[in-house]
Amino acid sequence: MRSLIFGTAIATLMLGPFAVLPASAAETKCEPAALAAKYPSLVGKTVRVAQDPQGPPYAFRDPENFDELIGLDADLVRAAFACIGVPFEFKTGSWSGLLPSVIAGQADLMWSNLYYTPTRAEQVDFVTFLLAATRGVVRKGNPKNIHSLDDACGVRAAAGLGTVEYAMFSGLSDKCVAAGKPPLEIVTYPDRPTGIRMLLNDRADLLMGDAGGNAYTIKLYPDELESAYTILTNYKVGPGISKSLPELRQGIFDAMQILQADGTQKALMEKYGIDPELQRPVEVHTN
Amino acid sequence: MSTEFLHYLSSRFLLEGALLAIEIAVVSMALGLVLGLGLALLRLSRHAALRSPAWCYIWFVRGTPLLLQLVFIYDVLPAVGIKLDTFTTAIIGFSLNEAAFCAEIIRGGVLSVNRSQAIAAAALGMPGALTLRRIILPQAMRAILPGIANQAISMIKSTSIASVIMVNELTFRAEQIVGQNFKFFTVFTAAALIYLAMTSCVAVGQIAAERRFDFLRERGDGPFARLAAAIGLRRPSEAAVEPEPPAGRREQMPALIGDLCHDVANAGMRPVIVCRNVQKAYGDRQVLQSIDLTVSRGEVVVIMGPSGSGKSTLLRMINHLEPLDWGEITVDGKHVGYQRMPGGGFRPTGNLARARAEARIGMVFQHFNLFEHLTALENLIEAPIRVYRRPPEQARAIGLRLLAGVGLGDHVDHLPHRLSGGQQQRVAIARALAVSPRVMLFDEPTSALDPELVGEVLGVIRGLAEAGMTMIIVTHEVGFARDVADRIVFMDDGVIVEEGPPGQVLDQPVQERTRRFLRRVAHKEDENIAA
Repeated sequence: MRSLIFGTAIATLMLGPFAVLPASAAETKCEPAALAAKYPSLVGKTVRVAQDPQGPPYAFRDPENFDELIGLDADLVRAAFACIGVPFEFKTGSWSGLLPSVIAGQADLMWSNLYYTPTRAEQVDFVTFLLAATRGVVRKGNPKNIHSLDDACGVRAAAGLGTVEYAMFSGLSDKCVAAGKPPLEIVTYPDRPTGIRMLLNDRADLLMGDAGGNAYTIKLYPDELESAYTILTNYKVGPGISKSLPELRQGIFDAMQILQADGTQKALMEKYGIDPELQRPVEVHTN
Repeated sequence: MSTEFLHYLSSRFLLEGALLAIEIAVVSMALGLVLGLGLALLRLSRHAALRSPAWCYIWFVRGTPLLLQLVFIYDVLPAVGIKLDTFTTAIIGFSLNEAAFCAEIIRGGVLSVNRSQAIAAAALGMPGALTLRRIILPQAMRAILPGIANQAISMIKSTSIASVIMVNELTFRAEQIVGQNFKFFTVFTAAALIYLAMTSCVAVGQIAAERRFDFLRERGDGPFARLAAAIGLRRPSEAAVEPEPPAGRREQMPALIGDLCHDVANAGMRPVIVCRNVQKAYGDRQVLQSIDLTVSRGEVVVIMGPSGSGKSTLLRMINHLEPLDWGEITVDGKHVGYQRMPGGGFRPTGNLARARAEARIGMVFQHFNLFEHLTALENLIEAPIRVYRRPPEQARAIGLRLLAGVGLGDHVDHLPHRLSGGQQQRVAIARALAVSPRVMLFDEPTSALDPELVGEVLGVIRGLAEAGMTMIIVTHEVGFARDVADRIVFMDDGVIVEEGPPGQVLDQPVQERTRRFLRRVAHKEDENIAA
């Protein structure tokens, strides 16, 4: 669900080289007071951050106080903007509406577990700092004995509609048939809770989606669910920023470098059950 | 589990989302109803230039997904410099959508009201807007309300799709909590109960509103009516506060007419209605060929003839319920709603309702056409108060006298459906008299009545004749015509075949067509008596 992209985008990504801008001299410490000197165009601005509050462990409601957003993305937003020295506000909405709102100028950036793709980079600039992983989840005891994608032929496999995982299942199903094995029975869900209900109610044998999100889910259902396998993807993750705000992009790039250097990012990843090994050096992608 | 459930049920986070849903729904519904009424009227217009844009609007808005409309308003309009915030976008999106649906519901309601209601109002000189507000919409409400309540309820629930433009209402907030703790059953059940509470308000409101507009129900009873009266929402019925009318005392019609209709008093034998070379066609069918007819003050003219001979059409052209194709008609020397163009032709004037009101032509219809939602007395005072600006007290006093005069002093507060056909027609006659007419037109006033009820209506008309009222009566009642008419006009195929005093036309008709018709009518009357 978090990794909603289109087939053409996948193809482009697999073939095309990454376009990475050379980073300017690495910042070493936050200087919020130097905002006017470093990012003059941000002075007096309240940055509007589009976020989907339905996506633990990246952004979700604090169980203690529903008015607060927490999670890796939400906490990184707070840390980064404190570092830059500019005030911000969250604009919350369902995931599919967030990127359009940035493109339309209704928000300044989307920071909500967004995968970088060259197609998306035509519309917004990316600052990436994380590698995406996907994880298979099965019912406790792994009744169908699934330990890798290769074991999935013939099972009922659930994936978010339009996600990378859905594309992976489709490709796998064709391979199964070619190898003389039964095809996958693929079912799709609109959001993770719905998919988890399918798994719990024995309407699916395997659910595959974002590794961090599924790790969080398994923690909530320790007696019902378990992890089957984890696959690293080639997708880099980070906020998509309006192309009209290059200094905002630079500010986030600088801030994320500092937050990686001082260990903040890894600490937050651990806090929210995301494998710290998925951290990647900060990169800017403008196409 | 249950404490947790109550925790979500009373969660400020969820209730704030519910409040947002209500705010959007209430504002959008109000705007949607206003816009929808406008659209419905455009859709009902006679002019294609008004009808077509309204149709296109409804076609487009109803035919495209609301979700995409919201995204369009929120994310595409900024490209042309219109940047709206989340709430405003939701209000605009939902009300534009609601307008399209409400328009069709309102149009359906208006179409469900019998056209005879609008014709009766037009004959009383009521302008279109007044007719719509006072006559059509109150009756249409019965058909409109269930649909509107459906819309309101579905809108409260469907505000959730606005989460795509960052509206954080109830469903989206519930999904956020579920996304965090996966307790979908508890959270969604709490959200469902909150929705049920909100939609219950609409459901209860619908019951109250339907009672309010159920004109077939007797007024002033039921808990809602008492509650409404108690908190001052509803004035007690205008007629209900009246003292008992002088029941039983039946005023002599001539005296009453003399008081009401001053033109009758200073009678002189000058022409009142003059029809000159009147022609009318519906499509290819020529309904009236070339009618010349003059009616003098105080004269009672009875028009007879087979159905389809153009009698009713001629009557309707006198008070301009139907436009003339050719020729001219004057009432008291004036054209009703026409003005002479340079060169001699005529064209309709702008304010036809006013012209009809000034002409003071009372009209009585075959099917009575009483305003179904108004009591007998309210039927009588509607036009005098709203069109002729008569003080309400005076109008009521006159109305009561007239009802007593037609023998219905005991029925002033009854709705038409409680009255017999004969009683309804007498109310209709009283209603026509209430505007102090110069002329009365009767379009087959007894044709829809059971034979035993014909007498009471004819009795009233006879009274008017004695009072010296100028009248044109289309009827098949030969005996009555002989009795009351100064002159009989026999029409067939759109022309006047023969005319003269009753003794001549009824007893010694010259034309074969007249004789044939009279034989047929006489035969039918025998059958009626036999039955």
